[in-house]
Amino acid sequence: MSAHAPSDARWREVQRLRSARPRSRALRWSVVALALLAAYAWLAGDVALADFLTARRLANLRAFVADEVWPHDLAGRAGDLGAYARWALARWREVGASATLATLWISVAAIVLAGAIAWLVAPLAARNVTAAAPFGEPPRHDAARRAPLFVTLRWTARGLAILMRAVPEYVLAFLLLAVLGSDTAWPAVLALALHNGGILGRLTGETLENLEPAPLRALAGLGARRRGVLLFAAVPMALGRFLLYFFYRFETCVREATVLGMLGVVSLGYWIQDARTRQFYDEMVFLVGLGVLLVLLADLTSAVARRWLRRS
Amino acid sequence: MTARFAPRRAPRATLLAALLLAGLLAWFGAGLHLGDLVPRGNGTAVLGEFCGAALRPALDYEVAPPPGSPPLLAKVLEALRLTVVFAAAGMSLALLLGTLLGFATATAWWSEGAGARAGLGARLLRRVGAPSLHVALRGVIAVMRAVHELLWAVLLLAAMGLNSFSAVCAIAIPYAGTLAKVFSDMLDECPRTSAAALRASGASGVQVFLFGLLPRALPDMAAYAFYRFECAVRSSAILGFFGFPTLGYFLQLAFANKHYRETWSYLWALIALVVALEVWSGALRRKVVMR
Amino acid sequence: MQARARAIGFELRAAGLAFPGTVALSGVDLVVDPGEILALIGPSGAGKTSLLGLLNGRLVPTSGAVLVDGRDLATLGARELRALRTRLGHVPQHFGLVPNLRVLHNVLAGRLGRQGLFASLKTMAAPSRAELEEVHALLERLGIADKLYERVDALSGGQQQRVAVARALYQEPGALLADEPLASLDPGRARETLELLVDLARERGLTLILSLHDLELARALVPRLVALRAGRLCFDRPSGETDARELETLYRVDAAPLETSV
Repeated sequence: MSAHAPSDARWREVQRLRSARPRSRALRWSVVALALLAAYAWLAGDVALADFLTARRLANLRAFVADEVWPHDLAGRAGDLGAYARWALARWREVGASATLATLWISVAAIVLAGAIAWLVAPLAARNVTAAAPFGEPPRHDAARRAPLFVTLRWTARGLAILMRAVPEYVLAFLLLAVLGSDTAWPAVLALALHNGGILGRLTGETLENLEPAPLRALAGLGARRRGVLLFAAVPMALGRFLLYFFYRFETCVREATVLGMLGVVSLGYWIQDARTRQFYDEMVFLVGLGVLLVLLADLTSAVARRWLRRS
Repeated sequence: MTARFAPRRAPRATLLAALLLAGLLAWFGAGLHLGDLVPRGNGTAVLGEFCGAALRPALDYEVAPPPGSPPLLAKVLEALRLTVVFAAAGMSLALLLGTLLGFATATAWWSEGAGARAGLGARLLRRVGAPSLHVALRGVIAVMRAVHELLWAVLLLAAMGLNSFSAVCAIAIPYAGTLAKVFSDMLDECPRTSAAALRASGASGVQVFLFGLLPRALPDMAAYAFYRFECAVRSSAILGFFGFPTLGYFLQLAFANKHYRETWSYLWALIALVVALEVWSGALRRKVVMR
Repeated sequence: MQARARAIGFELRAAGLAFPGTVALSGVDLVVDPGEILALIGPSGAGKTSLLGLLNGRLVPTSGAVLVDGRDLATLGARELRALRTRLGHVPQHFGLVPNLRVLHNVLAGRLGRQGLFASLKTMAAPSRAELEEVHALLERLGIADKLYERVDALSGGQQQRVAVARALYQEPGALLADEPLASLDPGRARETLELLVDLARERGLTLILSLHDLELARALVPRLVALRAGRLCFDRPSGETDARELETLYRVDAAPLETSV
């Protein structure tokens, strides 16, 4: 398009600038490493693509979709919507309603408990709260002596939070079931609360650390104690953020609560597993569908709550 | 005009009160009693023994295994490797699907991208086709992620039988849904100033989207995708509970056989993996997002 | 050294622009010859940005007509409008750069409109030697050649603006439209930048239309001033024929009606 005379001097200068360009090695290598990992995952032979679409499996799939997921008793009555509705209503009365409600209660109890755990962990894990000189106030005379104590406290809290969120809720619930038995909802509630408490604790702790320091320092400068500044300034300031995260985790909590039932706690998952072992796939799919509706409902609630929070 | 700036009643206090009330309701609804927190039967013994084993994970089998078994640590490493393999395969598939679906459901795509063409056919597409496609795709995405990866696994197992690709799909489907939703939100939230400037220079819709909008959202998208990879590793691990050869399978087996120290070997392996990924992603996030 | 693009002329015929609730412009007549250099002046809210929006086809007049290069924009299809826009360089007030890309890629983006999708992907991923040298020469002319591979968000406001100018010039436009190019600069820089823009336009024989706040500079450096007040053309004459008092009243008299009109 443009007649631009090539110039070797300019080309050398461009190449010099290019070789001196600011770039992040860590970023580049991470991208390369992740790409290689993805390639390895597909090429290592552990994921057997060839075995996936065999004639037998496809026949299976066809039978599953065309036949097994539809109400067994109504075979041959396709199109009779009234019959389907009656069938669904019967399943809903039988187990659906109570299981859906149980799932909801488990997730609500768990997320509220997780919120409480988060607020126990977060201040302890926050650098600006758990310090010899909290909220940027001038260090006391014995600050140096007390510093190691606070560092220990902080890292203990962080370590606990890491452990809680590193173990999947499913594994936690599995372990807790062996201890607490399956005739109480505690294993599910506790597993969800611990895992989400770990996540919320970290997010809330980061929020506390990122709070604007000036107002906190001002209050601390007035002579307020750590407890006072935390309760009357830091917590209210971080609350909006916390609630956003809280509702975001609530969605996941409902999904997980459904599934934890498969281990033996009576939520939707319990009946899904039950139908599965009896190979009543029509009921199984129906219950999965109920779970979807519940999650979508929770999704909507949390979206509305978050929008409300953002707007205010 | 002034009403908009008037201080509104803080909804946070209301929300908080509602939450506490919901928690109280849930307490009774779920039939929770503090008394049930006390271990029963042999629960106390299991708890004591299990916790005692935490600091002494097994380095070798607790009971002599059948001859020809690989050493325990090799078994742990193999389970760890397969956990990562399934997670990486599932995540890469999810990334592909999620990006496509995320683009397709971003309103930014339809206003800045391909949907923004003029001409009668395109206009018709925009007025009628695009909104209905948009709504339909959003619905598909919502269902994809509303079904938990374990439930996808159960469905796939019932439909296809046990196969490693089922595990990959079980991860890929819900994760693609989540990525699509988050990606489209990120694209819609990022500022349109550069897109407008490129449009003013005559760039086509696709070009505006690719070079004016996408680069601005990309760091956030990448950071989120990495975070989801961390989650995918956890999901992959628990897929083992359904017979796939990942950490969960061996963990469950060891626990059922009351080999608590072996259980901890698998558990620590999982924790180490997740923590390592978290540290890695944290470092990257600081580099990419907070510039 | 640069292939000259043919300069573009503009014409507004009783152009008006109304948004629900407000009138941004009404009955504006204006003829800009190819290669002319002029400044739009007037207080903020007078309609300068709207007028620039009409000229590059971003906004569609609600009455009257806009002619660019002799063609009525209302008669152009989307494809023709795009083709025309590739010949109009635009420097928006907040630059519209992609902050997390390098200067190079931001400048290369200026020519997207003339490339197909695959050509543009190739350019962005691996620019050719000719493209690299051209961008470098352009940045050199603007005094920021050493920033070729910097990320835009690492640059100062003044440098970012030069990147935006470079992107517009890389388009090889027939006209350059700049919205408040001096708004974010300190006074010393402002003069220098305005001089640069005017020189560049003369060098390349471009039509240059700027909206400006600083009347002193406008009078000193820009040959023709077009004053807007509350969406109407107030006066339009060579800057040598304007006097300080007239310019002062443009702002003072305007203060009252402006408040009420918003």
